[in-house]
Amino acid sequence: MEHEQIERAVARRSAALYLPISIGAALAFWLAASLVGGYPPVAQIGGAVWVGILSLIVSMPMVTARVKRRAPAPSSRPA
Amino acid sequence: MTANTSILNLPVQGMSCASCVSHVEGALKELPGVENVAVSLATNKASLTYDPSRVSVGDMARAVDGVGYAVPTAELTLEVRGMTCASCMAHVEGALKEVAGVTVAVVNLGLGTARVTYVPGVATASQMKRAVHDVGYEAGERSQGADALDRERQAREDEIKRQGRNLLIAGLIGLIVMIGTFYDMLGPFKAFVPEWLSYKWVIGLLTTPIVLGPGRQFFTNSWRGLRHGVTDMNLLYATGIGAAYGIAVINTLFPTAGFGGEGATFFESAALLTAFIILGRWLEALTRGRTSEAIRKLMKLQPKIARVLRDGHETEIPADEVAVGDLILVRPGEGVPVDGTVTDGYSAVDESMLTGESLPVEKKAGDNVIGGTLNKTGAFRFTAGRVGADTALAQIIQLVEDAQASKAPIQKLADWVAGHFILGVHMLAVAVFIFWFFFGYRMFFDPNSSFILSPYKLGEIGVFGFSLLLSVTVLVISCPCAVGLATPSAMMAGTGKAAEHGVLFKSAEAIENASKLQTIVFDKTGTLTKGEPSVTDVVEWRSEVRSRRSESDFRLLTSDLLRLAASVEKSSEHPLGEAIVRGAEARGLVLVEPESFNSIPGHGVEATVEGQAILLGNRKLMRERGVDFGGLMPQAERLEAEGKTVMFVAVEAQPAGLIAVADTLKDDSAEAIRRLHTLGIEVAMITGDNHRTAEAIARQVGIERVLAEVLPQDKAAEVKKLQALGHKVAMVGDGVNDAPALAQADVGMAIGSGTDVAKETGDVILIKDDLRDVVVALEVAKATMRKVKQNLFWAFIYNVLGIPLGAGLFYPFMALVISPELAGLLMAVSSVTVTLNTLLLKGFKPSLRRENKAQRGMGMASSQLAPAAGD
Repeated sequence: MEHEQIERAVARRSAALYLPISIGAALAFWLAASLVGGYPPVAQIGGAVWVGILSLIVSMPMVTARVKRRAPAPSSRPA
Repeated sequence: MTANTSILNLPVQGMSCASCVSHVEGALKELPGVENVAVSLATNKASLTYDPSRVSVGDMARAVDGVGYAVPTAELTLEVRGMTCASCMAHVEGALKEVAGVTVAVVNLGLGTARVTYVPGVATASQMKRAVHDVGYEAGERSQGADALDRERQAREDEIKRQGRNLLIAGLIGLIVMIGTFYDMLGPFKAFVPEWLSYKWVIGLLTTPIVLGPGRQFFTNSWRGLRHGVTDMNLLYATGIGAAYGIAVINTLFPTAGFGGEGATFFESAALLTAFIILGRWLEALTRGRTSEAIRKLMKLQPKIARVLRDGHETEIPADEVAVGDLILVRPGEGVPVDGTVTDGYSAVDESMLTGESLPVEKKAGDNVIGGTLNKTGAFRFTAGRVGADTALAQIIQLVEDAQASKAPIQKLADWVAGHFILGVHMLAVAVFIFWFFFGYRMFFDPNSSFILSPYKLGEIGVFGFSLLLSVTVLVISCPCAVGLATPSAMMAGTGKAAEHGVLFKSAEAIENASKLQTIVFDKTGTLTKGEPSVTDVVEWRSEVRSRRSESDFRLLTSDLLRLAASVEKSSEHPLGEAIVRGAEARGLVLVEPESFNSIPGHGVEATVEGQAILLGNRKLMRERGVDFGGLMPQAERLEAEGKTVMFVAVEAQPAGLIAVADTLKDDSAEAIRRLHTLGIEVAMITGDNHRTAEAIARQVGIERVLAEVLPQDKAAEVKKLQALGHKVAMVGDGVNDAPALAQADVGMAIGSGTDVAKETGDVILIKDDLRDVVVALEVAKATMRKVKQNLFWAFIYNVLGIPLGAGLFYPFMALVISPELAGLLMAVSSVTVTLNTLLLKGFKPSLRRENKAQRGMGMASSQLAPAAGD
C-alpha cells in the first residue's frame, strides 16, 4: 500500500516536470519553424508534435528515475 | 525521521557480548546516511534509520562483515519473462537492487533469470517480483532440477507459439497489404487481385489489426517501462510503428499534408515493420534456448529409477529417494543413479558425459562410480555414497548454471552501452528530424530519389514527411537487441561445451581471463607428477654399467637386490620404504618377513633377511658403518642430479647396490606442456623441492621456467611476481594445498579433483586427473571469446552502418533512403545472425579430442584393412 502511494507520488511529481519540458520543446520547435517561415501549418504543427513526443520519451525516464531516487523509500521493517 | 529515510531491522550473526554490540553499532554509524542505530544482542538485530539514496543494505552488510560479524544472506533465482535486450537486463537489475535488503542482483538474458542475494526478513521474494513487474517484466520463483527444465522449456515453447501466432497474423495480412499497395505494378497478375484491395482505406483497415494486435506488445511494454522511468527497445519499435502508422493515417485523411500525396500510403511500412520485428522476436525465441542445451543434457543424464536392494529384495524406487548407504544394483545398459562405491561385480562404465573421457572406465569392488554415467557391459552392486544435491552431477549442473548466470567484464561494457543507447537514439532522432526539417530538405532533397530496394520515388513528399521518415528509420535501425545476446549466448554455449569435456568454468570472467593467459604455472607434486615416489632405478654392485635397462632386464638382474630391500621395508611406513615395497610387488617379487628389524632415524634401517644382515639407508649411514661405495658413487651422483633420491644397500657389510626412488611424471604431463607451448604459452613449474631435483623434472617435461624451493605459503607471492611482470597467469594445482596461489592467479585451475567439485578452490575445475584438460580449457575459452567478439561485431555492425544510412548521411550523394520496414528487417537479421553464430560453437572440438577421434578412426580403418591384407 505504502509502496503504491509512493509510486503514485513519484509519477505525479515526475509528470509535473517532464510534461512542461516536452511541451516547451514542442513550442520551441513551432516557434522556430514559424520564425524561419515557409513551412505549411501541417509541417509546423506535426513537427512540433513529433518533437514533443520524442522529448517526452527522452525526458520521462530521466526525470522519473531522478524523482524516484529522491523519493522516500518504503519502510524495510520485516513483517 | 526525515522524508527520505527508512527504518530497517537488520539481522546480525556472530555477536556474543556487549562489545560486539558496540562494534556493530560503531561500524553502522560510520556509514553516511545511517542514523539512530540500536543493536540488540537478544534479538541479534540492528535497528536503524537510514537514507536509501545514500546507503544501501549491501553497504551495511559489508560494514558489519568488516568488523567480524555477518549479515545472513540467502540466494534466490527468479525466472524473468519479457526481457529482450541488454537494456531490459539493466532495468531488471536496477529494479531488484532498489529493493531494500537486496545486496546483489545478476540478470542473465539468455537464461531469462535473475540471481538475487538478499537479507532474509528484510527483502522478500514478493517484493522482488513486484519490483520486476513495476518495470514492465514478469518474475516468478525458479524451481529446481528437472522441474525447472520442464518449466523453462514450457515458457520457451509458449513464447515461440505466441510470437509464431503474431507472426502468422502480421505476415499474412502484411502480405495482402503489400499486394494492395503495389497493385499498379502487378502487371498480368492484376487479374487475380481485386481492385478494391488497392484502396487506401482498405489497406488502412487491414493494417490496423496488425498494429493493434501483434504490434500491441511493443506499446504496452514500453509504456509500462516509461511510467517507471525506464526505456527499452520496445520503445524504439513502438515509436517506429506508431509513427509509420500515424503518417499513413494523416496521409490518407489529409493527402496534401506533405507525406507523398495521393500516390503514397505508408500503411505498408507500418504493417511490414511490425511483421519484420515480430519475425526477429520469433527467430530469437526459436534459437535462444538452444544455446543452453548443455544444462539440459546434463539434467537428462540423471536416471529416474534406481534398483535398490533392501532386505534382500530388489525394489525399483525413484532415484531422488535413494538414501546414503543403500545398496544399488546396476545392470548392463543402465544408468548409475547416484554416486557410490562398488561392493561387488565388474563392469566398464561410460563416464564420457561427465568427464569427457572417451573410453569406458573399468569398475571393480572398491572403485567409485558417478551418478549419471552409463554402465556398459557387466553388472555390479554399489553402496550409495552421495545422493541428491551432493552428487557430482548435481554439483556440476550447479557450477555450470552459476557460470552461465555470471557476467564477463566484456559483457558489462556491452550492457552499459546498450543501456544508454536507447535514450541516445531518441535524442539522435530529434537531431535528425530538426536537421532535415530546417536545413537538409531544402539543401539536398531530390524528388527523384527513392527507397533502397523499392521502385517508389519519394516524389511529392514534403519537408515534414521526409524529416519524419528519416527520424523514424533512425529509431528502428538503432535497436541494440543483438548486443544483449552477443556475450551471454556465447558464454552459455562455451561453458556448456567445456563441461562436455570435463572442464568446469565457475564464471564467465574465468573464461575471459583464460582466453588471455600468457603464463601457466604448474604445481609439481601431485599435478605434474603422480605425487608418490616410485622406484626408478636399481643398480647392482657388479652390473653398475647396466643401470638403465628395459623392464625385462631390470627384473632379471636386479630382482634379488630389490626383493631383499623390499623385504627389509615390508613393515615400513616411511614413504621411501613404501615405494620400494610397491616397486617390488609391481614386479611380482615375493617378499619375506625380516628376522630382525631396526630403524635408524634419519639414516635408514638395518635388518636380517634370510640370514643375511642388510643395511639400507643414505650414504652417511654407509660411511658410519664403514661400507665403501666408491665404485658406485658416479652412478649415485648421476641419479641425484636427475632429481632422484638414492638409497644404498649393503649385504653383510659389503656394498650390494643402489635403489633410486623419485616422484614420477604423469603419463600426459609432457604432452600437455608440449601442446601449451604450441599455443604460445609460457609454462613454469613451482615446487618446494631443491633446484637440482626441480630442474631435473622440468627438463623431462619440457618446462623452461622453474620456481624451486618455494614454501607452500609463498607460492601465491611467486604468482604475484609473475603478474607484476605484466603476465596473465594461471596456476594449476590441486584445489586444497594450493588454494592461496590458485586464488592469486588470474585463473586458478584445480585439477584431478575427482567428483567433489563444489569443494574445490579455483576458477576452473578439471574433473579428470588429466593435465591435457588445461589445454582443453584454454582452447574452449579462446573459442568462446572469439565467438563473443564475432557476436559483438555482428551486433554493432548493423547499427554502425545502419544509423548513418538511416539518418540520411549518404542521401546527398546517393539520393537513396532506407525505409522503416527494411530497417526493421535488418534489426531482425542482426539478432538472428548473432544467435546462429553462437550455435556454430556447438560444433567446436578441442584439438586433443579431434586428434584422438582421428587416431581412433585410423585404428578402425587399419583393423578393418588387416584381414583383407591377410587374404
